[in-house]
Amino acid sequence: MLQGFSALRSARLTAGVFVLAAALSGCAGLFPQTAQLAEEGPPQGAPREVELTQVPFFPQVEYQCGPAALATALANFGVKVTPDDLVSQVYLPERKGSLQVEMLAAARRRGMVSYVLAPRFADLLREIAAGNPVVVLIDQGIGPLEYWHYAVAMGYDYDYGQLILRSGETERRLIPFALYEFMWKKSGYWAMVALPPQRVPATADETRWLAAIAAFERVGDARGARTAYASFLARWPDNVNAAIGLANAHYALKELPQAEQVLRRAASRAPDSVIVLNNLAQTLSDQGRDEDALPLIERAVAAGGPFAAAARETREQILGRLAKKTR
Amino acid sequence: MNAWTRMICRILVVLMAWTPFQIAQAGMIGTDQVVTSSSSADRSTLLNFVGRSDVASQLQTFGIDPATAKDRVAAMTDEEVQSLAGKINAMPAGADTAGLLLVVAVIVLIWWVVTKR
Repeated sequence: MLQGFSALRSARLTAGVFVLAAALSGCAGLFPQTAQLAEEGPPQGAPREVELTQVPFFPQVEYQCGPAALATALANFGVKVTPDDLVSQVYLPERKGSLQVEMLAAARRRGMVSYVLAPRFADLLREIAAGNPVVVLIDQGIGPLEYWHYAVAMGYDYDYGQLILRSGETERRLIPFALYEFMWKKSGYWAMVALPPQRVPATADETRWLAAIAAFERVGDARGARTAYASFLARWPDNVNAAIGLANAHYALKELPQAEQVLRRAASRAPDSVIVLNNLAQTLSDQGRDEDALPLIERAVAAGGPFAAAARETREQILGRLAKKTR
Repeated sequence: MNAWTRMICRILVVLMAWTPFQIAQAGMIGTDQVVTSSSSADRSTLLNFVGRSDVASQLQTFGIDPATAKDRVAAMTDEEVQSLAGKINAMPAGADTAGLLLVVAVIVLIWWVVTKR
């Protein structure tokens, strides 16, 4: 009946396997994803057994699993940070805990792109298999009693049906898939990765990963943003919005010829994009080529749409600069 | 002379009140505007302005000093700010120092054994 979890039949009937057996023999409704995982085998491209042993471990100090988990994920990629450094960025003293949004935001401030995974068990395993430790939010309470906890999933053994985590004061915590899902489900299967800008998550969704990079760019690391957009375009070369992002990063770094080059390529793919036209015109104008910029910005203004007001302002500016030249 | 000064002051007051809400400006259109849907860019910018200070002051009530609260909110996206505004108390805040897991495991086990038979 079951190909996966062959250990079910082995002598090592751990508690986890027992719970799993119950879950699989008709009560799969409580652990739907575990049941699915058992049926479908390990996710595509993921080995049966992975453990990222190099993931550092910061034993948690009282209530501060948020800073500890985030520091674990960041330090894994070489960010020099300890949980103490992150307390002032993610910890809420009166709540004695950390909010999900702040976990995402704090990673950005450390030069990493944070991304919330799709709520799928298979995606969690695929990220681990790709070498990305995953910060997860689980509820260790029962019913109305809530004990929210952040941990870092950094390994699994598919055949034994176990997830391996850095959690609280435990360096290597083993949790059976079914029990893990029981605790994880209550957070809506919330999981995040925080990756250096050159990396793309194994399970990245084009639109959401782009939004993650834009959020990262917002914090102001133009160099990192440039790298992230370039990696994005290596994977999805036709994405015009990512090209706009890459050009904006170049522009912020005063690399105007590079910005122009990227925008020209984008313009050939999306000739009517007001944003591409506006930004290209601005880039040309800033290089003193207002004559080239004018026809482009006229096209942007004529196209209308939500960015028409910005395009009109840019045109005024270009006309002003041209007038100054002829005077 | 005095009338002129008063006039200039009035103009300045109007300009200062108006400036923060003047959204469209010449220059590059930012990536975050492109990536998030921006059919009502002006409205959402104004809402955001309010949302950010709202979330920052909420963080302060949870024990964060004003400058740190401002920095923390600054690292959030518009959507993230909206998701927190007015709701921080109801959000899960990961905190627990483990320990309860064993209890859960045992109870779940017993429960399954009982319901199975």
